[in-house]
Amino acid sequence: MVGEYAANFSHVLLMFGFAIVAVGPALLISRMISPRKRSNPVKFLPMECGQVPQGEGRTHFMMQYYSYVLMFVVFDVMAIFLYAWGSTLLNLPKTATLPIIAFLGIMFAAMAFALYQSKRRNIW
Amino acid sequence: MSAIAPKFRLSYFIKSILDNVFWIVILFTLVGIPVLMVSMFYFPLPVMNEKLTSPYLMLTTLADPSRQIPLLKSVIHSDFFRITAFPGFGFAALLAAATIFIERKMLAKLQLRVGPFYCGKVEGILQLMADGLKLISKEIIIPAKADKPIFWAAPVLFVATAAAFVSLIPVAGGGWVVADIDVGLLAVFAVIGFFPIITVLSAWSANSKYPFIGGIRALHQMISFEIPLILSVLGIVILTGSLNLTEIVQSQIHYWWIVFLPIGAIVFFIAILAELERIPFDLPEAESEIVAGWLTEFSGMMYGLVQLGSYVKLYAFAALFVVLFLGGWNGPMVWPPFPEEIIKDGITMGPITVHLAGLPLLDQQMINDVLWFVIKTMGVIFVILLPRGVFPRIRIDLLLHIGWYKLIGLSFVNIFIALGLLYAGVLGPGGIL
Repeated sequence: MVGEYAANFSHVLLMFGFAIVAVGPALLISRMISPRKRSNPVKFLPMECGQVPQGEGRTHFMMQYYSYVLMFVVFDVMAIFLYAWGSTLLNLPKTATLPIIAFLGIMFAAMAFALYQSKRRNIW
Repeated sequence: MSAIAPKFRLSYFIKSILDNVFWIVILFTLVGIPVLMVSMFYFPLPVMNEKLTSPYLMLTTLADPSRQIPLLKSVIHSDFFRITAFPGFGFAALLAAATIFIERKMLAKLQLRVGPFYCGKVEGILQLMADGLKLISKEIIIPAKADKPIFWAAPVLFVATAAAFVSLIPVAGGGWVVADIDVGLLAVFAVIGFFPIITVLSAWSANSKYPFIGGIRALHQMISFEIPLILSVLGIVILTGSLNLTEIVQSQIHYWWIVFLPIGAIVFFIAILAELERIPFDLPEAESEIVAGWLTEFSGMMYGLVQLGSYVKLYAFAALFVVLFLGGWNGPMVWPPFPEEIIKDGITMGPITVHLAGLPLLDQQMINDVLWFVIKTMGVIFVILLPRGVFPRIRIDLLLHIGWYKLIGLSFVNIFIALGLLYAGVLGPGGIL
């Protein structure tokens, strides 16, 4: 039963694998027919618009919108959880909607607080 | 340098062609036919004329057209054909190529240019092939300090993830979908969730500053718009009661969901613009600010593969919009029926009459479905492309503000509209419509 259910997804994986098999050779062929000159070490520096690169490529970068990434972790789960309710709604009694409305109210309050906090750029 | 090599002789040229033909014939006879015969024993072969096909009988189909058609039919209905060609990778790649051509021509017209003009006789129609040849013959330059395995794998994984997305899209009725899953919509969201990961991986592995900034921007943008994207579809799930994309299309046989849930459709459309990194949300690739964003260090065919993947993704999102809001393949029958006399009397060419068993190859309904699906998808793709010639890029704080405040609010309004329609008895089981 579980195996059958998982086997439904095998076509997605087959398609994924087929795409790798289909486009991987493009890189190999390109590697074979394209010129490869290794004479110049400047060529393999990272692109910085003609300037000589300075410092590390992977640095600590101040994005200032980190709070939205944190909020995503919570509210993405909430959105998917709503699907469990929405897809079975036709089979549920109408009273089952009320707890979901209450749940949404709690989540709205949480979201409002999170959005208020995310606007305070000085704490991030 | 002349186009022809200086030592060119026509006789040498003909001799080289004949040599090649000789070796091809020898190799096919000695290697190809045995490999074909051996491999045919391992494939389930179709029943033709009430006989189980043997590999020996299979080779006679090469000379007999009346046996080729049942064979072709069995190939068309196999999983392999679905994955490689029709609702799968080949179809999506073809539509992606058409999209690139349309985009370049349309953008040129919007900006009073001519666009691609010289490759191919008609309006530069072979420009994409020329670009592909150019990209494949360019050297791939990888930064010296890059994380090479991940950097190599990122473009291929991007295309493969886009292809996995395509596999979930139903194209026509009667099971023309690669993977028909009960929770198809959730599977779509799961696949969409891989794109920011691949973007950030490739940006981090390049070990360069512009890709890094672009990758972080892509991460913020994609995950911010994923929540409105997910919530805006919930209205349809409430009214349909199903997560299967084929059933969602079948529920729109009388009316499209965009009629009842226009707010959801608008939110979904804006969210897919952001997920696709298209103008006005092309911050991850903002070429006037950060060179090419997370694509900066990709060169040659790697860049080509990322482009292929992003256009396959564009097709998949446009097709998802059609499936969810525009009624999928439903439409009036416009395709003419297959002529009866060819089935009954056969095809007469001069003195010869050929009776072909198994015609028509594809039934009328399926071709009509695909026609409507492609027309609607191309329309949606056109609307996705259009803002590129019209709008400027917006700032990242405005982008996040739109995503988190306005679109999420509107998608909840959409959910309540759907709930109202259901509980007012307009739609759903036992509803007025």
